[in-house]
Amino acid sequence: MRSSKIIRTIVQKLFPFIMLFGFYLISHGHLSPGGGFQGGVVLGTAIILLALSHGIEQTEKKFKSRWLNMLEKLGILTLIFLGFLGIFFGWSFLGNFLPLGKPGEIASGGLMLPFSIAIGIKVAAGVSAIFYALIKYRGEI
Amino acid sequence: MKKTFFIIIMLAMAILFILSVDIEYGNPKNLDVANYYIEQGLYDTGAINLVASIYLGYRAYDTLIETIVLFVSVVGVVFCLRGKK
Repeated sequence: MRSSKIIRTIVQKLFPFIMLFGFYLISHGHLSPGGGFQGGVVLGTAIILLALSHGIEQTEKKFKSRWLNMLEKLGILTLIFLGFLGIFFGWSFLGNFLPLGKPGEIASGGLMLPFSIAIGIKVAAGVSAIFYALIKYRGEI
Repeated sequence: MKKTFFIIIMLAMAILFILSVDIEYGNPKNLDVANYYIEQGLYDTGAINLVASIYLGYRAYDTLIETIVLFVSVVGVVFCLRGKK
């Protein structure tokens, strides 16, 4: 079933702003309210909105489910790899080996920004992978 | 053997529970950990958002295992919905 032209146009115009808001939440997680989980869910809802309005076939051309599944595993492996890198540089597991920087800047907080990015990508891919599975194997839009 | 082990563990838990009854958790005297986070969180982790400094700095294990929980749930949903192929 295709949605009406109004809904499709509005979702098309709104989609980049939702993605931008999600990336803002992820990248400013250590400076302002937000973080990896919340930003990842916002990114996931952008993909879900696109799938609800344009149909699953149109969306799968841009966001392939194979890539989403791969990104999810990649995010979690990145987290564990960064944790072991802490041991390698002389701290504990998940230790903060990067310089802390000046408080209030984007580059402050050491490992927090890579952690947030990895968690955000992983959560976005996971939420949309659940949605894809629900649509593809049980019912259709 | 199993029963005595179970009873010993239950007794230990009961003793710990009885000992912890008279601790006042809202009392400002017992807020050492919270006060430490508020005072030293910025210097330890370098993040001005205290929530992030706790869940990505002090409690990073919790965040890691939480993401693994989400991963396992996604795997379970996809596995159960796909059925036999």
